[in-house]
Amino acid sequence: MKTETANTVVGICMIPLGLLGLLIASRALDAEMSVFGYGLILFAALFGFSLIKDHYDRLEAAPARMPGADHE
Amino acid sequence: MSDAVLHGATLPARLPRVDYNEAVVRKFMIAAMFWAVVAFCVGCYLAAEMSWPAFNLGYEFTNFGRLRPVHTSAAIFAFGGSMLFGTAMYVVQRTCRARLFGGSALADFIFWGYQFFIVMAALSYVMGFSKSREYAEPEWHLDLWLTLIWVLFAVVFIGTLIKRAEPHIYVANWFYLAFILTVAVLHLGNNLTVPVSFWGAKSYALFSGTQDAMIQWWYGHNAVGFFLTAGFLGMMYYFIPKAANRPVYSYRLSIFHFWSLIFLYIWAGPHHLEYTALPDWTQTLGMAFSIMLWMPSWGGMINGLMTLSGAWDKLRTDPGLRFSVTAVGFYGMSTFEGPVMSIRPVNALSHYTDWGIGHVHSGSLGWVAFISFGALYYLIPVLWGRERMYSVKLISWHYWIATLGIVFYITSMWVAGIMEGLMWRAYDSQGFLQYSFIESIAAVHPFLVIRLVGGLCFLTGALLMAFNMIMTIIGPRPALNAMPQAAFVAGE
Amino acid sequence: MTTHIEKDPHSGTETTGHVWDGLRELNTPLPKWWLYTWLACIVWAFGLMLLYPSLPYFTGYWHGLLGYSTRTEVMQDVAKIAGQRALVMDKVAAASFEQIRATPALLAEAQTAGRTSFANNCQPCHGAGGGGRPGYPALAAGAWLWGGRLEDIQQTLQHGIRSGAEGARDSQMPRFGVDGVLKPEEIVQVASFVMTLYGTPRREASAETVAAGAALFADNCAACHGEKGQGNREFGAPALASRTHLYGDSFEIVQGQITNPHMGVMPAWGGKLDPATIKSLAIYVHDLGGGE
Repeated sequence: MKTETANTVVGICMIPLGLLGLLIASRALDAEMSVFGYGLILFAALFGFSLIKDHYDRLEAAPARMPGADHE
Repeated sequence: MSDAVLHGATLPARLPRVDYNEAVVRKFMIAAMFWAVVAFCVGCYLAAEMSWPAFNLGYEFTNFGRLRPVHTSAAIFAFGGSMLFGTAMYVVQRTCRARLFGGSALADFIFWGYQFFIVMAALSYVMGFSKSREYAEPEWHLDLWLTLIWVLFAVVFIGTLIKRAEPHIYVANWFYLAFILTVAVLHLGNNLTVPVSFWGAKSYALFSGTQDAMIQWWYGHNAVGFFLTAGFLGMMYYFIPKAANRPVYSYRLSIFHFWSLIFLYIWAGPHHLEYTALPDWTQTLGMAFSIMLWMPSWGGMINGLMTLSGAWDKLRTDPGLRFSVTAVGFYGMSTFEGPVMSIRPVNALSHYTDWGIGHVHSGSLGWVAFISFGALYYLIPVLWGRERMYSVKLISWHYWIATLGIVFYITSMWVAGIMEGLMWRAYDSQGFLQYSFIESIAAVHPFLVIRLVGGLCFLTGALLMAFNMIMTIIGPRPALNAMPQAAFVAGE
Repeated sequence: MTTHIEKDPHSGTETTGHVWDGLRELNTPLPKWWLYTWLACIVWAFGLMLLYPSLPYFTGYWHGLLGYSTRTEVMQDVAKIAGQRALVMDKVAAASFEQIRATPALLAEAQTAGRTSFANNCQPCHGAGGGGRPGYPALAAGAWLWGGRLEDIQQTLQHGIRSGAEGARDSQMPRFGVDGVLKPEEIVQVASFVMTLYGTPRREASAETVAAGAALFADNCAACHGEKGQGNREFGAPALASRTHLYGDSFEIVQGQITNPHMGVMPAWGGKLDPATIKSLAIYVHDLGGGE
């Protein structure tokens, strides 16, 4: 699997993860679950954005290289 | 064709450079340094609470019962765990000559997911949520999250092993793999709980009574055995020969002590429950396996120390290596002390006393932290492309202050523990207890204060290290031709 | 890479021929002392398993050649200690308080027994030396709720206070505020009056408030606490005209106590300690400084 493909899969997984956090936060019965739910949302959002940023950083750093030509 | 001949057989040739994923290792090293300081700070604060209970401050958040798991989790899982994840990912790439399996995003997810687990766990303790299982306090939802992270870590590690370019698997990787697989099994077994609701944090253990206690200590003992021993032996097997630039002393010994260690460790848990409701036969088995475990544990020490034969002079010039070697010494000491304490009559004296605390800390400060410091002092210049640490003198200072701290810590706990054990069992001539419990608390007070001093020494050392690390990272990069050889793939 | 066995110039041992990231391994044989010590440990461990209860099987477990059991061991230890104690404690049990007092040797031994029992059983609540804590009477100060003679103390120890045990000392203070017996402002008045009994009158309280409180006190409280607040040991009603106060010195605590009173519970030690120990405890507590 190419690195960019693998990274995309991980990035897409952040969507259900963030939604799970939303669900937990909305139904939480205690403070701890509430914190955990909000934490998951924040985690998924920030991590997803960081992946997008890393992707464009790489493109900028190596304009000559194609995004898919990274190491396997 | 002539090219291939040159490559393979006789002449040392530079192998094609592999683009290792070092970014994630750098992140783990920074996290490890950060959590080390946090863990030592909380530890010192708890030591102060033990000496002067007024430090509990009357808030539930600062109560000893809530802060104690913050200290143990920060030390074992945050500091130790970050070191293990980071060095495992470094060592497996180097010794397999293959880039980390699964891509950079997966590795970063493991890093940030693990840090998320640590922060969430610490928050939950302070808020008063705990499964009340020692070293496995996080509630069920955090356990599930850790399971996810752990499985992904295993996939990345095993994936890298599978796609390795070296024909054989290096011994460090056996230990890392044993650590990953066994901790996964322990984590799943010990944390079988029934949540009250899917939307609530509270859960109840699946087991009860003596069975529950036995499961807890099967986990607790092997958390020491496979997290704090096997994992860190993996670290030792890479960084000591690397820093000493010597071959590993004995390949045969490494095979023998690896298999005997992982086979015997798993049975020794019952020695934590001697003289309890645990059946006598289980107690005896725990004791017998602990005795048999002594030499397999020492196999790692011998291999670590003897690797230095021919390179002892390096200890004078490389204080980082001094950390690693002292760590192996403390490892030998505490793996001897452990079987001794498991022998029933000794256990009758030592159990429930501060001796146990001292024993744990000679392992955690002397072995786990010191071997990590040794690895960090080696890795920081390599990972950030520096010639050496910002100040070698500061490493020396760190070494001596931290060693002094450990000596204060464990000697005071020995004295306190033996004193408590003797006071609790003392009867007067009429057959009445000589001392009340509170008198034993008053008697050990000075030693609790000495322990705090030891902890403060250790913390000071870690702060010096953090400063040294920051200065190294922000300091100037050397010219490319002056880069250390280790930053490239060494191939011959 | 192919296997390439070399000789290590320092030790003269051969390597295994594998190289990882520049790391090599020597093919040194197992250290003899290591192997033999390990074998000795294994022999020792199996010896233990033979002698002591060890291997389980489907219907039970191997009991070991020595027939050892931790339960038997602890029973023997307890019996031995009990025998040692009986030498003195049988004499204490048989003697009356007067006889114990009259025999200095016996008294000293009873006090020793009392001291250790107190430290292990009573100290957590009553404090070292019987100094007391809020809610837990100061035994050394002589502020007795139920009586400070040896026999009184013995009875309190034996049956407890509000313990639910038979013969326990029992009484209830009405919840004047919670049950609406007195209005909140009346409680302020009574409490202001009680503060004058304490000898620390409130500066905020007017003379009328205190006078109204005195009238309410006479109607509601005097029956148990006495006309002058001197207390009544028949009901365990604390003396209010005193410098020693069970729950605290402040007006707010008095007010709270009238509104929704705390009523302390002491366990019945008769079920846990033998009569001779309770007798020794009574003597020790009595002699802390407050005995009558």
